[in-house]
This record gives sequence, structure tokens and C-alpha cells, in this order.
Amino acid sequence: MTKVDEKDLCAMEQAHINSKERLVTLTCTVNNEAVSEDIDPTMLLLHFLRDKLKLFGTKEACGEGECGACTIVMNGEAVNSCLVLAIEAQGAVITTVEGLSKGGELSILQQEFINGDALQCGFCTPGFLMSARALLDRVPDPTDEEIIEGMSGNLCRCTGYRQIFEAVKRAAKREREELSRS
Amino acid sequence: MLSKFDYAKPLVLEEALNVLSKNEGDTYILAGGTDLLIALRHNLIDAKHIIDIKSIPELDVFEFVEGKGLLIGANVVCNALIESEIVKEKYTALHDAAAVLATYPLRNRATLVGNICNGSPGADLPPSLLIYDTEVKIASAEGERTVPLKEFFTGVKKTQLAANEMVVSVFLPDPGSAEDRSCYYRQTRLKGHDLSSVGVACRINGDGKAAIGINAVAITPLRLTALEDELNAKGITEESIDWAAEEIQNHIKPISDVRASKEYRLHMAGVLLKRGLTHLMEKEA
Amino acid sequence: MTYKEELYSCTYQSCEDYKSKYKHIGKPYERKEAMEKVTGHARYAFDMEVPGMLYAKVLHSPHARAKIVSIDTSKAKALPGVKAVLTGDDSDLLVGLYMEDKWVLAKGETRYQGEAVAAVAATSEALAEQALALIDVEYEVLEPVVGLDKALEANILVHENIAEINHVKGVFFPQPNSNIASLNRSRKGDLDKGFAEANHILESEFSLPAVAHVPIETHVAIAQYDPFTGRIKIISSAQSPFALRQMLASTLKIKESDIEVQVPYVGGAFGGKAGIHLEPLLCLLSREANGAPVKLKLTREQEFNYTATRAAMRGKIRTGVKEDGTMVAADIVYDWDSGAYADYGVNVGKTAVYGGLGPYDVDNASIVSNTIYTNKVYSTAYRGFGHLETLWTVERQIDILSQKLGIDPYEFRMKNLLRVGDLTMTGELMTASTGSPVDCLQAAVKEIGWKGRKSEAERAAEWKTGKVRGTGFAMVQKAPAMPPNAASSIIMQMQGDGHVKVMVGGIDYGQGLMTAVSQITAQELDLPMDMIEVVRGVNTETNPYDWNTVASKYAFMGGNATIKAARNMVDQMKDIAGQILRLTKESLDHGDGYIFYKHDPTVRVAYKDMAYGYAYPNGNGIGGPLISHGYFTAERLTNLDPETGQGTPALAWTFGCHAVDIEVDVHSGEITVLKVASAFDCGQVLNERMVYSQVMGGVVQGIGSAILEGYKFSDDNVLLNPSFTDNKIPTMKDMPLEVVPIYIENPQLDGPYGARGVAEHTMISIPSAIGNALYDATGINFYRLPLTPENVALGIKSGEKDIY
Repeated sequence: MTKVDEKDLCAMEQAHINSKERLVTLTCTVNNEAVSEDIDPTMLLLHFLRDKLKLFGTKEACGEGECGACTIVMNGEAVNSCLVLAIEAQGAVITTVEGLSKGGELSILQQEFINGDALQCGFCTPGFLMSARALLDRVPDPTDEEIIEGMSGNLCRCTGYRQIFEAVKRAAKREREELSRS
Repeated sequence: MLSKFDYAKPLVLEEALNVLSKNEGDTYILAGGTDLLIALRHNLIDAKHIIDIKSIPELDVFEFVEGKGLLIGANVVCNALIESEIVKEKYTALHDAAAVLATYPLRNRATLVGNICNGSPGADLPPSLLIYDTEVKIASAEGERTVPLKEFFTGVKKTQLAANEMVVSVFLPDPGSAEDRSCYYRQTRLKGHDLSSVGVACRINGDGKAAIGINAVAITPLRLTALEDELNAKGITEESIDWAAEEIQNHIKPISDVRASKEYRLHMAGVLLKRGLTHLMEKEA
Repeated sequence: MTYKEELYSCTYQSCEDYKSKYKHIGKPYERKEAMEKVTGHARYAFDMEVPGMLYAKVLHSPHARAKIVSIDTSKAKALPGVKAVLTGDDSDLLVGLYMEDKWVLAKGETRYQGEAVAAVAATSEALAEQALALIDVEYEVLEPVVGLDKALEANILVHENIAEINHVKGVFFPQPNSNIASLNRSRKGDLDKGFAEANHILESEFSLPAVAHVPIETHVAIAQYDPFTGRIKIISSAQSPFALRQMLASTLKIKESDIEVQVPYVGGAFGGKAGIHLEPLLCLLSREANGAPVKLKLTREQEFNYTATRAAMRGKIRTGVKEDGTMVAADIVYDWDSGAYADYGVNVGKTAVYGGLGPYDVDNASIVSNTIYTNKVYSTAYRGFGHLETLWTVERQIDILSQKLGIDPYEFRMKNLLRVGDLTMTGELMTASTGSPVDCLQAAVKEIGWKGRKSEAERAAEWKTGKVRGTGFAMVQKAPAMPPNAASSIIMQMQGDGHVKVMVGGIDYGQGLMTAVSQITAQELDLPMDMIEVVRGVNTETNPYDWNTVASKYAFMGGNATIKAARNMVDQMKDIAGQILRLTKESLDHGDGYIFYKHDPTVRVAYKDMAYGYAYPNGNGIGGPLISHGYFTAERLTNLDPETGQGTPALAWTFGCHAVDIEVDVHSGEITVLKVASAFDCGQVLNERMVYSQVMGGVVQGIGSAILEGYKFSDDNVLLNPSFTDNKIPTMKDMPLEVVPIYIENPQLDGPYGARGVAEHTMISIPSAIGNALYDATGINFYRLPLTPENVALGIKSGEKDIY
């Protein structure tokens, strides 16, 4: 694949291809709410969530699927939203960090992150929470290896990971207990 | 991203192939997107048309037929390979390789077919596919053709695919014997996710014959048939494994790059081959 | 026990057997801002939007050294939506914290691959990207200065005008006709005499590459420079809003008071966001765009390749030791490969002359530290401020000395560590208040279960299994590197509901600053923690001055300032309450939200009733809004003598020791860190959860430097690993199996409740400890970081006992 010859793009062409004719309508569910927006097909899902829907919790930290800061849950799976075109989410069910808790009550997962100091600067935290959410939805009783495998796509520079790991482990246990109680 | 493309999501293969047939080097297939989106964002390509194939049901095929083999469609993602009992049991090296590819969320999207079409010499899946004599089914508006995987790669990030072609599936013949076993070991710079510095896939079939696949030591992933022949002529023993671990250095031509030096790749190719073959011999016993 | 109490008793020492004598200090309170962070509501500069905002993109030089022959920006300027396009020709501004050696945009020539050559501001990111693609630059590639030796030859000068660079005189010493940005030195005693007394003299050379900070939030800033009023507003992911304001004023030659800097939540910093980075360029773009605000978010590639790194370094150390292990002489030269510009890196170089000997009592010593220009991405402050690098040199040398003398490395250190009554490298006297490196060594070594070095026979037996284990340890020592008159200040305001708003000048980027300040306030005012609110974000217009949030100094300095502000608040309240209750101040005490009569606590006035002034029942008003303040400036610190490096630079020394247990795969060279025992003399643990978190994080960041991280350059100094694909940091799979933090508490008499800072320290000597453990495991001494699987495996394979 050769690098595009950027010098050949001219201003007139730019004006045309920025026009409304390019727009497509994206309809999906985000945090339990129906969403319908007109977007350019080149828009990334990450930018759709942040710039269109103003859900700033999901972060961009590398743009190439290496750091996990952009992790969301799409159709039940953990996904790096920086590598998904928004239009690929047509009809999808998406959860971001803002959708983890409702009515001012933190979810068990979020509580355990606080209880165990699984965060410092907090920038990677939404990504970790979503990876954990997807993991626990899929495997409610994960082994240590399964937790680490499910979470190791998220990078953190502050915490050294131990407290994040322990928080997810505790959250898994509490969620199972909640479930068996109900 | 400087590309301005339009996006289509056909429901049948024919439609996708028709769009592709008009391709003047500006149309790209989108399945998992884990390679394509990076190429787009870094402006390595100029895309005018993107064809999302995820809604084409025949590309979802993931089926093992006893006596025939395993058919893996273009939409099958790595996590599906890992979760498959058939892959784990009959094509263990493929299970091993899929399990170490990238990270969990990327494996929810990255497809096997995407991994081979990217054509990276260090790609994780090809060695495991090569040792199972994988075949690649390629389609275009003009028809279909099948090529052995070992002929599919032609250079660094280069494959046989013409601009108007796409891979619809790969096929791994049934290994046949219950004694057939395989594994994949690779070396990385850390325990976390990484591309392979070198990775070796080993297989011992029901006749006790070895097959060896390797990545990151040439311009394409390799099947080391010459080494296999010499090793199989000797028979696989502790001594011949030690011999092969030394001899492999004469069968590969790695380079030094940012990821690893030539010396380390030569060294680890031997270490991983020994580890792989020894493991498979112990499995049999 | 409640769920939380049970959790804490399993994880932390505090709740169960750690009975703090204070009500709030030492208690394991949870982080104050945790809620905002787990809900995704915390707003970072990355998230901020300002009305009318434009988006900037930057064009970078692909060459390590090149003349800019021409730049054609005409097509970019013609693109609709592009509001500003700038090149080096558009500005004469020189930037530099200590040495003004850098143009905002490269002018005439570029000095590193990655340097900014042009910048655009447009109405959308997509348009800015398109505009950038329309800029044509013609370069004449020149031969770059690559590596220390080439730089020291000085056949090519990175800065031809090095003698004319405007710099802080008396502190930094650029050498004319050279690539030495600064030559600093210190000396103690008589080196010749020392070496004459020695029975053994050993000379070694150690080295390590540049590494990246990798904050998960990259550098981001928004700047608005009104061309009519001349006033500037900045929002930045920064560690030092006040220093930023000062430096920007100096660079732009405008008044400090015309600049407002706002810092919201910061997504990690590690020293890379101290100083000044994107802001000057963004100010120029904004002014060019008629005062529209301009935002720049660095991509991860720019974060690696455009902004600054930790310097690469080579340490040459010659030591003289007596037969019994006493070190009598140390002659050290540190050469810092600091890249194209001096930035903060030149201060790291200078600091090495007082921090660079390690916590040892050596009567005769000399340190020369050269900060050297080369044509590659430049270096800046990084966690540890040079101490990780110097301790890699010193602690490895100590270990090798003990090997050669056949003395146990624990005994060797015990023999030479600083104790009360000894003098440091800069001539500072160790007192009981300074803390105890001996206590730290003993605690860490005990926890790791040190039984002495492995024998050859033991090693050979283990080797057959393909995996060998090793244990090693290394000392930590660091004081804040800061100007002697650095200051922190705090403002407190009582609210009508009895809550206290605290305004800090320091930035909490995850280290728990807001929580520590809250605890101290709660302690001093005797209020529950949930009545203390630290105002989120720092704005130079309204928050009180703080020099810089770096150097692990905030707990000490901000802590002391908080105590003073709280006591000032109590004092003001007593003034009013005394009048209300008709009592003298001496008869009053405070507690539980009240100022009360000592001899009858029911005679009292609530804090909240005085918050905005007190109203008597008949309507008379007395007093006024309770606004208190406190500051702390270190006392009796001095600059260093430029020749001898003697002086009192250190606010407080924090000592520590890391002991590690590793396992090495002898074939692949892979190191697995099994256990880390880390002891620090914190003086007084303010909040164990915060210190624990620092240890967990610092250890893993240290492991990164030890076995994984390092910039790689091509022969012509182009960065080969400018992304996460090949510039890796540890993941969850790389964390050690067990980390045990140990808190030693020898109080620092002038610290808040006896506390010293513990933050950078938890990272600093991990590489040295692992290097020492690697010797124990393999019998091989490695002199160069990182100890990657490749470097270790090929080292083992070579059969050599010393691998450089």
C-alpha cells in the first residue's frame, strides 16, 4: 500500500466532498437510549460517541487499538471504538461508561474501583470499566487468568494494575452474590 | 484520515464482488477493520469505497466436516477460533496462535482471513495454517479459485490477491488421525500483547511426521519443508530435535529490525522449535 | 466490621494494627475525586471545548538535522476553513526554561526528527489535517550529531551559537564551541588522597536509553490570545500552571498578570507536563487567527516523537574501596544524551551532581555531569529527575564491588550507608530528622528473605531446569530538585453550611494531592472528611500560587501550607468567637465544628455561624467572611556552589530500598518479577492507600524501564518506535506476582506531622535491583538497560560475564 499523494488534493475537491450528499443516517441504541444521527461514513465510532453524542467518558489515547482507553461494549462485546467506523454500529446496542450506573447509584463494579483504589489519574478508568463489564457479562465467575486476559488490552501508567485486578475480582464475587440473593 | 469513502454493506457475496470488480485500487474490504482502520488513519491508503462484508451470511461459515476438514469463512473472528472445541482439539496450533494474537477486544473483531490478507511476514496465524496445508478460496465477479496458503503470500504485505478479488474462506483438511497434534510458541518483548519477534508452529501427524511453520524470519511466513524432510528422515527423537534446533538457522534468513535482531531470531527459532517438538513428543507419551 | 473495613484490613496495614495517633492523619480515606473518575464525568483538557474553538495540527521534520530550504504554505492558506498557518519565519520567539535555545517553530534548520516545522489552525480537525497535507517543505539534509561520543567530538555543533544562548547564569554552564549545554560539578574531600588509600579500584561504565513518560492522556492545550487586549487564556493538561504562566510571559514578553492558565483533571504526567510545551505555539496560532481559541491534542505518535523524553545517559564510575569494604573515593562522570534542546533536561543534568552519589558516606568524591546536545528528540523532567539513571550507575557498581571483594552486598551497604552525623555529597548533615536508609535496607532485605548470594553450584543445578532465580536489592534516595525559595500556598474559605472550601495551587494528577490536603484540613480544623471540599481544577486567576507540582514535594510543602492555612482559619475564628463569647483567645479551643470555651464546652460558636460574618440576635454584625491563607517556603536552603556543588539543596531526603526476587528463562532471556519488597522512610504515612498506590504504580513503571522500554533510533537518528506497536509499556500481564510495601516512619521534624514525600521514589531503583538480581540468577553483570529478553538471552549465549 503506497502513501497517498497528499499534494494532489485541491481545495475545490475538498469543498465538494465535504458536502451533505455524503451523509448517512446512523441509528443505534446507546446507554439504553435510541439515537439517530446523520454522519459522514468516515467518522469513527469513538468520535461519534464523544463529538456527536457528547459522551466524553470514552477516551482516545492511541488511535490504533493498543491502549484500550476507547473500550466500549457493543452488542455484548468489548470493542476498541477507535477502530470501528460509526456506521458499522448501525442497529447496534452500545454501552459506554456513562451507561454503567443509573439514578445516581454507582454499579458494584464502579464501587469496587473506588474501594480498592483501582484508579489514580482516572484517564484509563472508563476503558478498564468497560473491559471489566464485558468480561463479567460473559464470564460471571472468572479465574484470575481470565480476568487478566480480558483486561490486559487496557494500558495504565499510574496504578501498576494490581488494584484494578483485585477490584474486578471483588466485583465479580459481589455481583454473583447479588444475583443469588435476588 | 484524508480518505473520503462511501460505505456499502451488501447482504450477498455477489453484490460485494460486483463493487470490487470496478475496483481501480481504491476499494477495500472491511471485516474486523483492525488493520484497515489503522491504514486509513495513517493515510497509507486512499480509499474511495469500503465494502463491509459482515452482513454476508455465507462468509460466516465455520464448519467442520468429519473426513473432510474445517471451513473458516471471512467473517470468523479470532475469539471464535479460540472458543471452538474443534480448533482446540484438532488444530491446536491455530488455537494457540489465535489466543496470543493482539488483545481480547481486538480479537472480538480481527478475523483469520483479515490476518492472512494483511500479508505481514510476522503475522501470528499463518504458521499454524501452513502446517495444516491450508487452502485459500478466492472469489471475484469472474469466478472462484483456490490456492494453497503457502503460495498465497508473495512478499512483505503482499499477497496473490488482485484488486478485484477477495478471500471468502480458508479450508484446513481433516488431520485424520487422533494422534495428530500441534502447538504454536512465539517470543515477544513482554508478557503483554505484542507482535511476534519469531513464532514457530509445530505439528506431528498420525504417521509421526513433523511439519514446521514460522513467521518473522523472511519476507513471508514460511513452511520449512526442507528441514521437515531432513528431520523426518531421521525420525523424531531427543537427539534429532536438538539437531533440528541448530539446523533451523540454516533454513531461515531473518533480518534485524526494531523488534528483534537477526541473532535473537536465529537463536529463538531454535529454542521455540525444540520447545514445540519436545512438547508434542511428551504429549504422545 | 463493615465490608470496607474488612477489605482494608486484608489489603492495607492501617485499619487493623496501625493505630494512628491522629484522628485523620494516617487514616485510609478514599480518594476525594474517585466518583467523578469512575462515572466518566471527570473532564480533562482532552475533553474541553470552548466556543469558537479552532483545531490545530502540526507538521514535523522527517530529518534529524536539515536546513529548511523553503516552505510553501500557499495552498494550505487558501483552503476554506483554515484560519492560521505558521512557520518558523512567522516568529522570533525563543523558548526555554533555563536556556532559551528553541524556536517555537523551527527556523532555518531543524534539529531533531519530529521537530515542529509548521502549524495550522482550522475550523475542524479534518480540515486541519487536509491543510497540513497541502504544505510543501524542501529540506537540505545535513549530517546529524548522533550519540554521545560524536557530540563530544564537537565536529558538528547542534547549536552553533551555544555561547550566545541566554541562560540562567551561575547555575548552568554551556561550554563554548561544544555540544555541552551545561557542565556541572561537585566535589568533596580529596580524590587523589582517597584513591591512594584504596586497596581496590574499579572502573565501570553503565548506560540506559531514553524512555517515554506515556501519560495515558497525551499533551493537550487550548490557547486564546486576544490580539486587542493582549490577554491570554490557556487550558492545559499541565503540572505547573503558575510556572507555565511565568514562562509564557517571559517567552512572549508580556505581563504575567495578562495570562490565565486553567488546569482541569490531568490524565497522567510523570514530569512530562511540567514546564512549557504546546502553549507558545498555540498562542501564536490564536493571535494569527484573530484571537480565536485554538486546541491541539497530540496523537500518541506526537507524544513519543515531538514532545520530550527522559534522557539517555552514560555513567562512568571509578571507585576506591578498602579491603574491609569502606568506600574511600568515588569519581563519577555522567553524560546525558539530552537531545536537541536544553528544556528541563539540563536541570536533570545539574541535579545529578548532588543526587548522583547515592545514599552513601564517601569522604572523597567528585561528580561531573554533562548535559549534551544531540540531534534527536529532547529530554525533560521525568519521574525520578535523573535518580533512576544515576542509581543504575551507583547501585550496580556497589553490587559489583561487593562481588569482587567477596563481601555480602547487604553488609557492604551497611558499611557505607549514610548515618546520623555523616555528610551528604553536598555537605548536608544527616540528622535523625533526615530519615534512615539503614532502616529501609534492613526492612526490605528481611521481607525478601535474603540469605546471601547464590553459589556457582546452586546456579548450575538450577540452570539445567531452564529457569534460574535471583534476588537483588538497591537503595533509593531522592530529595526534591527545586529552587531554594520554591513556595506552596493554600486558601481556605468557610461556607455557610460549615463546609470548608480549600483552594490549592498544586495539581492532583492521580497522586492523591486533594485527598492529602483534605485530611490535613480535617485534622487541623477537627471536622469530618466529608465537610472538606478541595476546589477542583486550578486556575491562576483565583487559586493561590504553587511553584510546580513535581519533585514529590507537595505533601511536604503543600501539607505544611495547609496546616498554616487551617491554623490561620482557627485564629480568625477565635478572634470573632472571643468577642461573641466575651472570652480571651487563650481560653478558647476548637473542635467538632465549634470554637468553644475550654472550661465549659457548651459555651461555643459554630464555625458556620461565623462563615460570612456573625449576626447577633439583635441584628448587630461582627466579623466577616472567613478566608484564611497559609504558605510554606523552604527555609535555609541554598544554591549550590558552582565549583564544588556544596550547599543545602534538599528540602527533605526520602530514602528507600527495593528488594526483588526474579526468575530468568535462560533460553529466551525473559525475566519474571516474582516479588518486590519496597521500604520507604515516609516519616509519617498521611494516607496509606495513597502511598500503597504509589508503590504499586511506581514498581511497574520501574519494571518498564528495567526490562522493556527504550527509544530506538536509526543510524541517522530517526525514531524507529514512535508508537505503541514498538514502544511498549507494561500491561496487566507484566505486573509482579507480589509487591509488599513497607512504611518506615522516622519523622521529618519540619514535615507535616513528620511526613516526607513518597512518589517518584517507588520507581527509581527497580532497574538497579533487577540488575543486581540478574547477577544473582545468572552470574553475569549487565551494564546496559533495558534487560530485555533479547539482551539477556544473547548475553547469556555469549559466554561473557560482563555484558555492555
